Parts: sequence; structure tokens; C-alpha cells
Amino acid sequence: MSAINPMQARNRKIRVLMAKVGLDGHDVGARVVARGLLDAGMEVIYTGLRRTTEETVRAAIEEDVDWVGVSILSGAHRTLLPKLRRLLDEQGASDIRIIAGGVIPQEDIAELLAGGVSRVFLSGTSVSEIVDYLIAETRHD
Amino acid sequence: MNIKPRDPFAPATDQNGADIATQAERWKAERFTPQADAGREAKSFVTDVGIQIKPLYTPADLDCVGFDYLEDLGFPGEFPFTRGDRAGMNRTDPFVISAYSGFGDAEICNGRFRKLIDIGTEQILVALDLPTQCGYDSDHEMATAEVGNVGVAIDTLADIELLFDGIPADSIKRIGTLGNSIGPIVLALYAALGERQGIGWDRYTVNLQNDPLKEYIARGTQILPPAPAAKLAADAVEWCAAHAPNWSPMTVCVNHINAGGAGSSMGTAIALANAQHYIDLLLARGLTIDAVAPLLHMFPDERHDFFISVANLRALRRIWARMMKETYGATTAAAMACRTTVYGHGQEALAEPLNNIARTAFGTLAYVLGGASYVYLAGYDEAVSTPNEESARVALRTLQILANEHGFRDTIDPLGGSYYVETLTAEVEQQIRAGMAEIERIGGALPVIETGYGRRVMTEGAVRRQRAIDSGARPWVTVNMHPQKPDVPNSAFRGDKTAADRQLARLARVKADRDGKRCATALAEVDRASAEDRNVVPAVLEAVRAHATVGEIVEIWRRRFGTFVPSTDF
Repeated sequence: MSAINPMQARNRKIRVLMAKVGLDGHDVGARVVARGLLDAGMEVIYTGLRRTTEETVRAAIEEDVDWVGVSILSGAHRTLLPKLRRLLDEQGASDIRIIAGGVIPQEDIAELLAGGVSRVFLSGTSVSEIVDYLIAETRHD
Repeated sequence: MNIKPRDPFAPATDQNGADIATQAERWKAERFTPQADAGREAKSFVTDVGIQIKPLYTPADLDCVGFDYLEDLGFPGEFPFTRGDRAGMNRTDPFVISAYSGFGDAEICNGRFRKLIDIGTEQILVALDLPTQCGYDSDHEMATAEVGNVGVAIDTLADIELLFDGIPADSIKRIGTLGNSIGPIVLALYAALGERQGIGWDRYTVNLQNDPLKEYIARGTQILPPAPAAKLAADAVEWCAAHAPNWSPMTVCVNHINAGGAGSSMGTAIALANAQHYIDLLLARGLTIDAVAPLLHMFPDERHDFFISVANLRALRRIWARMMKETYGATTAAAMACRTTVYGHGQEALAEPLNNIARTAFGTLAYVLGGASYVYLAGYDEAVSTPNEESARVALRTLQILANEHGFRDTIDPLGGSYYVETLTAEVEQQIRAGMAEIERIGGALPVIETGYGRRVMTEGAVRRQRAIDSGARPWVTVNMHPQKPDVPNSAFRGDKTAADRQLARLARVKADRDGKRCATALAEVDRASAEDRNVVPAVLEAVRAHATVGEIVEIWRRRFGTFVPSTDF
């Protein structure tokens, strides 16, 4: 883990909303990451299975999070992730950034990054890698 | 099996009368430990289920677990069925070469099925897309970007007919699907398919997973609250007992529960508790255990440790046999013999996907040696997408190689009698029984879901596995050792982009062309049968014949029974 303590880096803890969007019911990965981020001192909200992008955006804004972590294993990532970004931007929440994980072919990553996803973590990524990324990338304003 | 204390006056002996336990201890102290202490034991040797593996197993270990050949093993096809659910096993009736497949719409998927059958597939389990599995029609808002993605879209009987166009229901050994949360509907669709093809229900075999209870803790396609979902699943089994006793309408799954984190022993315990819940519902309707049990299969799963996998299948058959005989009073071999469906996995990785061919082959070999009846094998690209045509073919060929080359099925239960495997079988049985006792204490299958117990077991196990991978304690080639150099991007199978459009057009056409009055009457009867707590299958079958959609039928149940609210705990 990074040497920076997320508790001290800013005047508040890093807040992350973990979300499953669409119908995909495999949420083990999302829960393991949620647990890992919590253990690393972040504040984590999980919205549970089968949320629409609209519901996810509403929750992210209400919870005033820094990040939305989306797990998708159903192949719907190319539609749902850019839509999530667009809805966040339309709601004036451009400061909330998106990371994604799950079953996502590597050849789709460039397209997703262009569509407003900050980073895609493929299966096999260690939780500490995600923790380090969020600590390094969370804006300190 | 009960662990019996070792009788100090009757030590395990070899033919010369030497005490094997003493000799084994001596060997370990004099020969093995000095080498192991020199740093040659490279890893922890703790299996995913938590059993610590010893460097060597001898007859003394069998003594320790109280091994008794006639009591614990017996003979294949005879109680307690440890060595096999049938007498001849793979030697006389090789495991059934099976494919789980589906994508796009029925038209394009039919082409894949024909190719799979052409190269020797004996059973097809249709992979349904998520809207179908979750009870939404393709034109529902929740189906956005999901139509035909992880499986084929099925809205009405017209789709199933098209899917099996040119594939008579009796032309392969079994046809079926998962349909865990829509069991009576998929059963009705397959029953109506036979009617449309002019093939009697006694002439083909339908296999369903139809196991909704595991969805709440593992797989996630749950629609209704657990109790009515289990009731509807039991309806499908009860209907088969009366109308199609040769069908196989329920496959109770360890698979997803293990994969989600529970581990194979606890996963087996939870699955057996689920099986007991369904069985109890059916017995309460007046069916006998001898009529019910043969309609159920189990779907065991272990993808981390080869020998634990073999032990798990053997232990499962033993526990099932004793549960049926002792707890339920079954009297027939068919009721006590646990038939198993397996889906061969390993620890599949995204990097260098061809390596997954080796992983899944080894994982599947364990199931074959453990005596599984119906064997599927994951495509090497399943970690990244729905299998493409080539990976589906390789999976089939791997099964054919396992069935025909190397002599894997020449003798029955080839690992039976191994000091190692028999010790593991006894230890795994102990773990499963301990899990079953714990579940019984909290009240059975429904409280496992409702109290959050199952979910906790899953998350804790998944976190433990992730830590083992992150720390390197669980070696994983190309992931935490021997990394891929340079990093080579994967590509993924892309379904036909026009499939969803075709599906929507067909759905609109079917709705426009169907007899609206007949359909509405049939749907009203589904609602009445649901309200009056009758078996819904006859009403659903009539609705399906009238081209009611999957979503229309499920919507009746959503209104009648309510929906399940997913947990946000982690």
C-alpha cells in the first residue's frame, strides 16, 4: 500500500460508491473490492444488484462520493459506462470519477477511457493496486 | 462417516506386522523433515477448503478416519454409492458430452447449436440472456444493452421453436436450460416445444437447473422473495413427477456458491440444505421420496484443488445416499444414487487465454475421475466473453479426449482406495456435515438467505481467496507468478449486432399475430393458480402455447408475490 495515509491526505476520507449496473448478478468482485477499500480506511457505499444508471447517479450525488466503482460482467459495459459518465456530467457531478472492473475485454479499454472512465481494472488486479490508485488520484481540494 | 478412535490394541500393520503408523512417524522424522526444513516445501499446502495436506498418506491415515471398506465405499451402483451412482459408470456409459451455449437471438444461435451437435455434442443446455433469466422481455427498459449478451434472448415459444429448428427434441440425449428464477416457464416452453415438434414427452429428456435459492446468495438472477420462488420451482418438479418422470427438472447447485466464495465443502452443505427445502415442499404435497429424489441432480463444484474435487464428488454421493435413506426413508436405488452434473473450470485467467484449456481440462479430469454423470467444460475465453465458436469446439474436443484417450474411464472409481483420496473423502465429508449441522442450527435454507448468513460466508471466503492470490499463497501462473511478457491484449467474441434488433422485431410480430383473447385468458388463469396456491405449470403451459411472453408471466408473479430487494451489505 502507498505510504500516504488516506485519513491524513485531506480533511475527509475518500468516499467510494460501489455499484452493479444492469442485470448482471455477479457481485463477489464488487464486494471484495468494497471490503478492501473499507479496510484501507475509505468510506464505502454499496448499492446492491441490478441498479439502473439513473439510480446509481442519484446515489453517487446524494452520498457525495469521490468515485463510483462499477463492476460489470455481462458485456454491457460499452453502453452503460459512457451513459453513467454522461448522466453524472449532466447532473453537474463531473468531479465524481468512474473506475470500472469485471469481465471487460482489453480491446475495449481505450474506448471506455475515451468515454469518461478514469481507469479499468481487469480481473487479476490486486485490491491494493486499486487502493493505491484511488489514494494517488483523489483530488485534494 | 463417524471418526472412530483408533484402537490402540489393533494398529494398522503391514504383512510383516510392523506398525505402519510408527514407521510413518519414523520416516517423517528421519527422512522427510530434514529435507523439508531445508526449505524445500515451497508453499503452505493448505487447500482452498482449509484442509492441510500431509506430505505422505499411509494406511495409518485410513485408520485415523475409521475407514471401513464395506461401510464407507461398497460397490458402484450400491449403497452408499461412494464409488458411483451406477454400476457400470464411465466404463459402460461414458459421461454425457455436454455444451452450455447461447448468444444473440434464436436464429443465429440455432446455427451454433447445429455445429455443436455436428461435432458430437450429446446434450445442450441453453444459455439464456440476462433479461430472460430475470423475467424481462427484450423490449423492457431493464433489458437495455443486455439482449442476447450472455446468452440467447427468449421471449416466447416462437423463439424456442426457432432455436430448435431442425433439431428434434429427441435427437440428442438431453436438452434444457438454467432458468433458475423462471423454472415453470422454461419447463413449459420445453414441453410445448415437444408438442410443436410432434414428439411425446416420454421420448425426450429435459434438464433444468431450476434452483432459485442459490441465486439469492450467489448468482443474482433472483426475482421474487425466496419462499414463493422455491414454491414455483417445486411446481416444476411436481409436474414432472406426474407428466414427465423421465425428465430432470432440478439441478441443485454447489457451483455458484463455491465460486462466489463459500468453498466447495460449505457450498455443498448450503446446496444440500437447499435440496432439503425443495424436497420438504414436495413431500408436503404428498409425493414420496422415492418419486421425488430421482428427479433431482446435484451440481458439485471445486476448481482449486484437484484431489479435493475428487473427494467432494465421492463424499457428496455418500452423504446424499445416507440422507435419502436415513433422514427421508428412501427405499430405491434411484432415490439414493446422487446423479451429478459438473462444469469444468480451473482458475481461468485473462492473460494468455489458451492456457485456460489446460486449466479447465485438469479441473474436468478431476470430475471425471470423481464419477460425474453429465460433464460440461468452460470455453478458454469465458473469462473475457461468451465463448466463440472455436473455444466452444475446443471445449467439446477436450471432453471427447477425456472420454476416449488416456484410459481415464477404463476402470470405475480409479482413485478409490488411495490412502490420500480416501482420507480426503472422509475429511471433506466431515466438513460438509459440520456445515449442514450449522445450517440446521440457524433453521435451514431460507434463514441462510434471510439472516444474511449465506452472504457473510460468501464475502468472507471471497476476501480470503483474494488475499491468498494477492500474497502469492495461492499460486496463479501469469497472474501472481511468471507474468505475461509482453502484455498481450485479449480480444472478445462479439455477437451479431443485429441480433437484438431481430429479436425486438420478432417479439413485436408475435405479439401482433397471437390470439390476444386466448393469451389474456391464459394469463388470468396463471394469476388465479398463483393466488390459489395451485401448481402453476398447467396454466403456464397454456399461456406459453398462447404465446404469452416470459416477461408477462413473471410480471404476474411480481405483482402477486412481490420482489426481492437485494442486500447492500458487503
